[in-house]
Amino acid sequence: MLSRIAESLFWLSRYIERAEYTARILDVNFHTLLEQSKDRYRLRWEPLIVMAGEEERFRQTYGEADARAVFEFLAFRQDNPSSIVQCVAKARENARTIRDCISREMWEDLNGLYFTVNRFNPAEEMEAGPHRFCDAIRFGSHRFHGVTDATLPHDEGWEFLRIGWFIERAEMTARLVDVQYHNLYDAPSEISGPDNHQWMAVLKSVGAYEAYHRKYHAAIEAEKVAEMLIMHPLHPRSIRFSMTEVQSGLRAISGTSAGSYANEAERLTGKVLERLRYDRIDEIFKLGLHSYLTEMLEMCGSIGEDIARSYFYYAVVA
Amino acid sequence: MPSQMPLQGLFGDYKTGTFYDEMFSGPDEPRPHYAKIFQKLSKMVPAQFEERRQHADFSFLLQGITFTVYSDGRGTERLFPFDLIPRIIPNAEWQRIDRGLSQRVVALNLFLQDVYGKQRIFADRQIPRALVYSCKHFMREVIGIEVPRGIHTHICGIDLIRDSKTGEFCVLEDNVRTPSGISYVLENRAVMMRTFPEAFQAYEVLPVNHYPAELARILRSLNPRGGDDAQIVLLTPGIYNSAYFEHSFLAQQMGIELVEGRDLIVDGGIVYMKTIHGLKRVDVIYRRVDDEFLDSLTFRPDSVLGVPGLMGAYRAGNVALANAVGNGVADDKAIYAYVPTFIRYYLGEDPILRSVDTYLCSRREDLAYVVEHLPELVVKAVGESGGYGMLMGPTADRDRIDEFKRRILADPRNYIAQHVLPLSRVPSFDPALGCIAGRHVDLRPYCLYDGEKVTIVPGGLTRVALQEGSLVVNSSQGGGSKDTWVLYGDE
Repeated sequence: MLSRIAESLFWLSRYIERAEYTARILDVNFHTLLEQSKDRYRLRWEPLIVMAGEEERFRQTYGEADARAVFEFLAFRQDNPSSIVQCVAKARENARTIRDCISREMWEDLNGLYFTVNRFNPAEEMEAGPHRFCDAIRFGSHRFHGVTDATLPHDEGWEFLRIGWFIERAEMTARLVDVQYHNLYDAPSEISGPDNHQWMAVLKSVGAYEAYHRKYHAAIEAEKVAEMLIMHPLHPRSIRFSMTEVQSGLRAISGTSAGSYANEAERLTGKVLERLRYDRIDEIFKLGLHSYLTEMLEMCGSIGEDIARSYFYYAVVA
Repeated sequence: MPSQMPLQGLFGDYKTGTFYDEMFSGPDEPRPHYAKIFQKLSKMVPAQFEERRQHADFSFLLQGITFTVYSDGRGTERLFPFDLIPRIIPNAEWQRIDRGLSQRVVALNLFLQDVYGKQRIFADRQIPRALVYSCKHFMREVIGIEVPRGIHTHICGIDLIRDSKTGEFCVLEDNVRTPSGISYVLENRAVMMRTFPEAFQAYEVLPVNHYPAELARILRSLNPRGGDDAQIVLLTPGIYNSAYFEHSFLAQQMGIELVEGRDLIVDGGIVYMKTIHGLKRVDVIYRRVDDEFLDSLTFRPDSVLGVPGLMGAYRAGNVALANAVGNGVADDKAIYAYVPTFIRYYLGEDPILRSVDTYLCSRREDLAYVVEHLPELVVKAVGESGGYGMLMGPTADRDRIDEFKRRILADPRNYIAQHVLPLSRVPSFDPALGCIAGRHVDLRPYCLYDGEKVTIVPGGLTRVALQEGSLVVNSSQGGGSKDTWVLYGDE
């Protein structure tokens, strides 16, 4: 497989996952706030911009981080590189450069998603609220993964798609937990309190609400939610689950067996997984959740860089 | 009976005009091979037809079968308009075209072998050396290179038009560098079968989808290392090239790797591609990058589309290129006038297909005639293609004619002229009018040459000038296309 194609596959699924994650968070946040008072708005919308890492760009265009502004910024702005429309456009652009290497159905599906997304009228959607739009993205992403799974040979190319998909998911989940935790614990006491609704929204945004209740049979607590999203072995949106997928993708490509590693990306993935398996949530909280997650995000960044070094880039032969 | 049926509904008040109409021999009189499709269309109302048309358009859009136009500075993706009314060619007529094109391709190949080899044709005074050497796409760099199996013209697209009086097919121009459009032939047929299946029921149509397999077979046979397991790649300029869809389509159909220049590297005279498991040797390159951009060490130093050192590997015989480098000399519009000479000289045969009478502005007497008669003529710059650098005398204004006169006189060698050819017309749906009207067409068949025989996919790409009265069929200038049927029999 050409290095360029592996790279495009990796980014293709990253962009799709980023679009889906953003849509999920937008949708759930919006609906949670429908039931709350107006003075909490600023606080509750700000984290979404922080998560996307686009505070500066946001402030250049908007004043207040209210529902409308954040929705427009994260969903429709063409000048925001992490907006949903931009993610879908970039996913399609990556697919277009490698359309001979993906199945025809994958291409048609993704191309269809691109046209669907662009047919939405931002003004109308902002009036109607994000649900309709976000639903289309969520289903679009699910359908794309379904079509991929069912029509693409599960060979190296598929592994690169899987790695891109899950490394993005691990990072997004880490940011989600980090930002929400910050938001709820560092806020002035009169606003923060035991805000179950916000944590409920976090769980719902990743589709883990029911699973949480099945596992804990308890009220919603920040520590348990964090435990679930960071360390659950089998929930498909936990960081641990995502990194396990990344590891098995990397091993499938290099042919490395368990217990060893063929490159720096595999070594770091193994190291991250060891911690996710054997750390306990109370230890993590004692050390500080923020620094734990920051470190995790840095490791994910290094893993991404080393995947690029091992598989995508070539030193030019003199 | 069709001859008594008044033209109505979808056909509106269809007029054949003064042109050769491929469907009708006279008012209300379809030619025998069009009779059945005419009956079917006559029974449809415009709304039914419009629904099919939208279905077909959607199908193209979903598949991303688009081309890119750069004239607006942004590079907009556009659909290549598809007209649902097929163009039909009887078998006997096709047989003649097939023979004529085969003859022409073989002669062009022999010319290229000769010009970059022994150059007998200059010694025998069949064509002035100066004319050949001054062609924009003549490449001194490849003189003396022995190409694998002696093939230069692996893939040719030769444009044909019908003589307006007799209806006979003639050659308008040769494209022997990197002709494009075959993907539309295959996709048009696929979409046509999905959206208008009943049209096929009345006919027996020759299939076209063996093209990729035949091309792959030829590419495999070029392996410089011998054997059947050649590593073949298709070299594309990339996603921003107007024919990118075709490149990825063909790579996928042939099961070969689609590469860009940056995916390849030359080391020690061997071409490699960069894979996730290291460098892998490349044996055959079906390149869709023009000569000038292939190798920045040999040609344009600013090119980033090619592979530095590629020509070294080619010269050393370590990699095969299709088409060969330097082919542009054979489809130069001034050289075109000499192709009948090549056929007689190299093959000792008379040309089966006529060429269009051409004035070479490099000849003094032709030049005088051309500058005097510009309003009646079509003038073409010899090294251009795609409808660029062209003057349509009858529709041009005074200023444009004067401008061309100055250009021609400043550089006569760069121009040829032909009389305006009233291309034949085929009924086509005009969405603006909501009915069928006559539109001008040409035909580009695709010829594959394996060194022994020429294989031509029956039919080819029918390009249609969808604007009323327009004679320009190029996709970059508002042209569309049609599915082209060659019948098993004659009706």
